[in-house]
Amino acid sequence: MSAGTLEMAILDGILTGGVYALMAAGLTLIFGVLDMINIAQGIFVILGAYASYSLEHSFGIGLFEGLIITIPAMFLLGAFIEWAFIRRLGEYNRVSMSILVTYAVTIVIEGVLLLHFGSNYRSLTASYVTQSFHVFGNYLPKIYLYGFLLALASVLVLYFILYKTRLGVSVRAAMDNRFAAQLVGVEVKRVSTLTFAIGVAVTAVGGMVFGAVQPFTPNSSYDLISRLLTIVVLGGLGSVGGALVGALVMVVVEDIISVAWTPTWATLIYFAVLVIVLLLKPQGLFGQREVRAQ
Amino acid sequence: MTAETDAFLEVKNATRSYGGVKALDNCSIKISEGKITGLIGPNGSGKTTLFNAITGYESIEGGDVYFRGQSITGKTPEQIFALGIGRTFQLTKIFARMTVMENMFIATQRKEGWLRSVIRPAGSSEELDRAVEILKFVGLLKLAESPAGSLSYGQRKLLELAYILIADPTLLLLDEPAGGVNLSLIKELGDHIRYLNSLGKTFLIVEHNMDFVLTLCHEVNVMSSGSVFMTGKPEQVRSDPRVLDAYLGIDDFEEEIVVP
Repeated sequence: MSAGTLEMAILDGILTGGVYALMAAGLTLIFGVLDMINIAQGIFVILGAYASYSLEHSFGIGLFEGLIITIPAMFLLGAFIEWAFIRRLGEYNRVSMSILVTYAVTIVIEGVLLLHFGSNYRSLTASYVTQSFHVFGNYLPKIYLYGFLLALASVLVLYFILYKTRLGVSVRAAMDNRFAAQLVGVEVKRVSTLTFAIGVAVTAVGGMVFGAVQPFTPNSSYDLISRLLTIVVLGGLGSVGGALVGALVMVVVEDIISVAWTPTWATLIYFAVLVIVLLLKPQGLFGQREVRAQ
Repeated sequence: MTAETDAFLEVKNATRSYGGVKALDNCSIKISEGKITGLIGPNGSGKTTLFNAITGYESIEGGDVYFRGQSITGKTPEQIFALGIGRTFQLTKIFARMTVMENMFIATQRKEGWLRSVIRPAGSSEELDRAVEILKFVGLLKLAESPAGSLSYGQRKLLELAYILIADPTLLLLDEPAGGVNLSLIKELGDHIRYLNSLGKTFLIVEHNMDFVLTLCHEVNVMSSGSVFMTGKPEQVRSDPRVLDAYLGIDDFEEEIVVP
């Protein structure tokens, strides 16, 4: 192992972890407020990547500038999906039904992407994707740092909305006790739509960075959603802070094992960490013992 | 707006059953404006179901609910809250993961516009002033920045009352406000209710602590088997043999009634 490799692995882990954290934060927010598992979060990320790809290839719009279009577009898509499908879910078997419904959404979006783009790998290109910084005797593609900063800024915006605004008070009240929040006039339906839309909007950012860091196909969403789910479970369902820590733990553990030992075992070791944490704390690192106290 | 009734709040012949059990059986009750009204009765007599029916949490199969002369039957809980009926719960509902002060802002959300809520700060300065005033009133101001989950049982009851008060309801429905609360806090709670009543707020209180109810309320309704069978002044209720019968007539003796 050459000098600086481990530092590089940690740095890479933190930078990539930030992007995963953002995608997982959207997922955990949706879980917290709507009491559902959004399996489609993975395909939304991939859709975000294809959206950036199309804007760049068809209109010559750069990746970062394109976000001005893709973030609102994903927000509207999220609002539509919540209104069209999620709102129809009853209380009975809600979590299982939500998995089925969002899985159906996944298949539809995946099918549309396959029809339109085919199954070949695509990747996002830009000068900052190919250029690198020189750190710890290694090369770090600029997009890693830019992507991380963007994800960090997005997470900060999410935190600001959650902790400083009126919507944030409503969202957190609905996460804490949906029924009681409704009784004191919080419009839980509206809050649910906004939360789902925001949770999906962040995938525009996640998808752009994901697509710039690695090639993708319409099928890439399955690996992604399984990772996002483990992050959210590790951090504690419904905890945004937990999603951040969970994402960092996942990526840093995998990166360190990869360079210090072998990439073959990296994912397995991460899952071992996950299992140990869940044995000790079944509610995850920052989860509430009872996710929804009624 | 046809005046169907002259009472402030009136429930007419409400019926609601679970399976074969009639939780509300042709239940009627009238609440006068500006009064503190009590609602007592053994466990399972339908008091909480009646509260749920009034506040829109449960639908009723028959009958009507009127508030200020207008039918509110079938309205949603948030619509009823917006009309000025606030409610506390037997099992206190506070927002444990938010601070005491943040709890105070939840009930102020309802008038906010769609996307404006994303950019507007959580509490306006008037709301903050009011929240401080109410927290001072219930004695929780020094705990304003603590997580609500760290409060004691009695403090939670006070917080629940406080965050309802910020929405300035005209009618307050309290479900067992004194249940599980220590004696000095019960006295304080009684004083708070009397003071709020002197400001013009109307109360309907379900309570098992007879001393509390009979000294506080202007009028008391007694429920048994899903309907109100007597209404009277506290001293009438205290001496009426039917009331004691209602409590003793049931098989379930776990009842924690405190007969004065």
